[in-house]
Amino acid sequence: MVLKLLIFGCLAAAAFAAQAPQKIFPYSYSQQDLSNGLRLIAVPTDYPNIVAIYIVVQTGSRNEIEPGHTGFAHLFEHLMFKGTEKFPAEKYNDTLKRLGAASNAFTSDDFTCYYTTFSKEDLGTVLMMEADRFQNLQYSEPEFKTETLAVLGEYNKNSSSPFQKLQEALGDTAFDQSAYKHTTMGFLKDIRDMPNQYGYSRNFFERYYRPEYTTIIVVGDVRTKPARELVDKYWGAWKRGEYKPAIPVEPPQREPRANHVDWPSPTLPIVALGYKAPAYDDSTSESAALDALAFLAFSANSDLYQKLVVEEQKADVLSGGLPDHVDPALFQVTARVKKRDDLDYVRDRILETIKDFQNRPVDAARLDTVRKHLRYSLAMRMDSSDSIAGILANYVALRRTPETLNKLYEQYAQLTPEDVQKVAAKYLVESGRTIVTLTGPSPDSGGAR
Amino acid sequence: MRFLIPFLLLVSGAAAQLRVVTLPGKSPLVTFRFVLTAGSAVDPVDKPGLAYLTAMLLANGGTREMTHKQIAGAMFPMAASVGAQVDQEMCTFAGATHVDNLNEYYKLWRAMLLDPGWREDDFRRVKDDAINALKVGLRGNNDEELAKEVLYQNIYRGTPYGHYPGGTVSGLESITLDDVKRFYRTQYSQSNLILGLAGGYPESLLENLKKDFRKLPEGAGFRPRPKLPALIEATRMVIVDKDTRSVAYSIGFPTPVTRNHPDYPALLLATSYLGQHRTSGGVLYDEMREKRGLNYGDYAYIEYFPRGMFLMEPPPNLARRSQIFQLWIRPVEPPTAKFALRLAIYELNKLIREGVPQDGFARTRDFLVKYVNLLTRTKRAELGYAIDSIYFTIPRYNEYLKTALASLTRDDVNRAVRRNLRPNRLIIVAVAKNGEELKRQLAGDDPSPMIYNSPKPAAIAEEDKIVEKYPLRLRPDDIKVVPVKDVFQ
Repeated sequence: MVLKLLIFGCLAAAAFAAQAPQKIFPYSYSQQDLSNGLRLIAVPTDYPNIVAIYIVVQTGSRNEIEPGHTGFAHLFEHLMFKGTEKFPAEKYNDTLKRLGAASNAFTSDDFTCYYTTFSKEDLGTVLMMEADRFQNLQYSEPEFKTETLAVLGEYNKNSSSPFQKLQEALGDTAFDQSAYKHTTMGFLKDIRDMPNQYGYSRNFFERYYRPEYTTIIVVGDVRTKPARELVDKYWGAWKRGEYKPAIPVEPPQREPRANHVDWPSPTLPIVALGYKAPAYDDSTSESAALDALAFLAFSANSDLYQKLVVEEQKADVLSGGLPDHVDPALFQVTARVKKRDDLDYVRDRILETIKDFQNRPVDAARLDTVRKHLRYSLAMRMDSSDSIAGILANYVALRRTPETLNKLYEQYAQLTPEDVQKVAAKYLVESGRTIVTLTGPSPDSGGAR
Repeated sequence: MRFLIPFLLLVSGAAAQLRVVTLPGKSPLVTFRFVLTAGSAVDPVDKPGLAYLTAMLLANGGTREMTHKQIAGAMFPMAASVGAQVDQEMCTFAGATHVDNLNEYYKLWRAMLLDPGWREDDFRRVKDDAINALKVGLRGNNDEELAKEVLYQNIYRGTPYGHYPGGTVSGLESITLDDVKRFYRTQYSQSNLILGLAGGYPESLLENLKKDFRKLPEGAGFRPRPKLPALIEATRMVIVDKDTRSVAYSIGFPTPVTRNHPDYPALLLATSYLGQHRTSGGVLYDEMREKRGLNYGDYAYIEYFPRGMFLMEPPPNLARRSQIFQLWIRPVEPPTAKFALRLAIYELNKLIREGVPQDGFARTRDFLVKYVNLLTRTKRAELGYAIDSIYFTIPRYNEYLKTALASLTRDDVNRAVRRNLRPNRLIIVAVAKNGEELKRQLAGDDPSPMIYNSPKPAAIAEEDKIVEKYPLRLRPDDIKVVPVKDVFQ
């Protein structure tokens, strides 16, 4: 499963005395490293009986740096369900079934995450089975070839959405060297060639499925000490690796870029603007300021949304933001318009809005509402142990610690209107911009009116 | 068997009884639900989509005192909203707030549901969105959901479930704001309402809620008598023709088994064994994806589950008085389309013929007993399930299912399978490019051998020899090709 990160930042916690210095993540947790480099984060919660384990491997499509091998992090997510000598796939599945566990995995640009939610008495079994497949995965070449077809099937089922095609074109046009040039699914030609890459797949496993890339997040009706003992028992013998990828650095963009996608079926026209933006960073205000900018300028509560979607009703979708990334990524604004004739009009209003944010600082009171929104949004999402683990996984993927979440929210708390103005002027610039449009076959749109 | 429903408060009014489900707790979140037991099945025949538009206008329009913009502004700092879901028998509004913002949120919640603004510009926007959800969303962006909804439409043609809950393009176009107001006046009544409240709310909120929602009229709206779907005399197929990469299938037939039917637990177990939603280990998933690499996954259902490609668990409050048994075959590459269809029906037939084996029975029962706890692990879900239990007059779902599973035997399951499932007289829907070409391939019993990219074990090769010739019993006259622009028109 490929994670689509269209929402960014996110999430939050219990008591909210405004401006209180208290940390945003309301749970006590322990963070411990094994001598092989594996990290365990344990978060006891008061949600009874259920435990969620999220295993984050800091390997995503950004690690696919060799030509012809895009999509391998995601393919590997599939292969991890192929079994071991001790637990062949069928036995693994049977055991999870008997536990009544919900289990799946997803891959994003930066990481791969394997998650299981189950009853607390099964903690040992789950940790044992997960340790086994992370260390002893086995799959034959015929099994590998068959699984590559399931990946093609996943590409096929995604391919009926024009938004998917638009994302492919935007990354491909905006980037030259960065691995974000391709989506997490990978280029279609590479997916088609996957059946021939059995040897490379073994290589990928040897490189990245190592303790120093891996963090186990355990959340729920659990105590830290027994969890640590189980992790020591089952994961302690895992050998550290040596591989460090040379992630390519994207050269600076010098002038604006554009592309167009002809979509074969009726659709409403879509325009996406991508701006080269910095990697996630919570030691400065920049990532936090770009998040705030996205809410102020493009959320349902923004002036532009109210104008284009609610009053003029020329667009039916408007969103914007910079998903947190390990490497420099795109701040993206997307609008779907109702009539093709309005495509340029809507694009120009987006450009005008960006200019406004560059020219003057935002109203401090509005910035406060964004802060409040971010805090409550986080609190409201922490409504079960598995959603808490899922939230942490995103931040652990960036900096390998729940403290990331606290640091980001500290940056939100300190943001000034000038910070927001500064990032708008620094990053949302013409020379770093890529605009991609997508339209259907007929000159009038496929939609209402 | 009679069950007590202790969590239901019946609030006596002068004549009507307002039903309120409460799940008090310590959580700092307070969850609200407003479930109207009148959905798209009560749409007037010439206005399909009326229930949907009404709900969407309430959830996405202004109130008498506040514009949509003002509501968006008030909701934003609380990170709150009111969401709507419309199905054949239910319109559901759901929302949640942090207890810090409870009073402010409740005022908005109450005003949006009891004191709508009925503005023309809100109506125009919501109507455009509804039309685009069909013309662009369902027809254009999601072949799998398209196949599923065309299947439902074909099975229920001529009954109150005969149109998609989101309506039809022409139906939506004909609906006026006056129609919407009239629907609200006649259907949004106390006798059609189940309210839900969960989390760390004060008692005073419950009192206010009851007092406020008693302002709705007491009487029931017009409710058509449920009409059974027509008998399917022979397998029929609809191919929705559109420019797309692959072939998406949905296959099914109607069943009287709903959540309160004696065969429900047995059939749920059999369906989970055949194809538990989006998990590995189901028969269809193993045979089609794991062993043969035909696609991304294959599943089976006995309850309506829309948007399954985005969800791991079914949303509550989609209760229906009639359900279908359904197979969801995710998109396959066109050269394997005939084989994949044959294999799906072959596996269904095998289940009926051989039944669920003893180990599969035990494993699936163990799974469901624990999995049901995961389904209701949030207050939001627990509240939704509790409301569905009232609708079906069964105990809380977890208790109901666990009790039933405890006494269920493999023979019970296999008897229920034989009684309720069948491998023939199906409706099959495909979404595909070159529909006429696919029709030509599928009509007639020409073999469709598989060519794999790797050697297969002998057992699979042997089975494939049967599957590649497995009779689909489709004649050209049984297959209708429909251009995508005509569906939901």
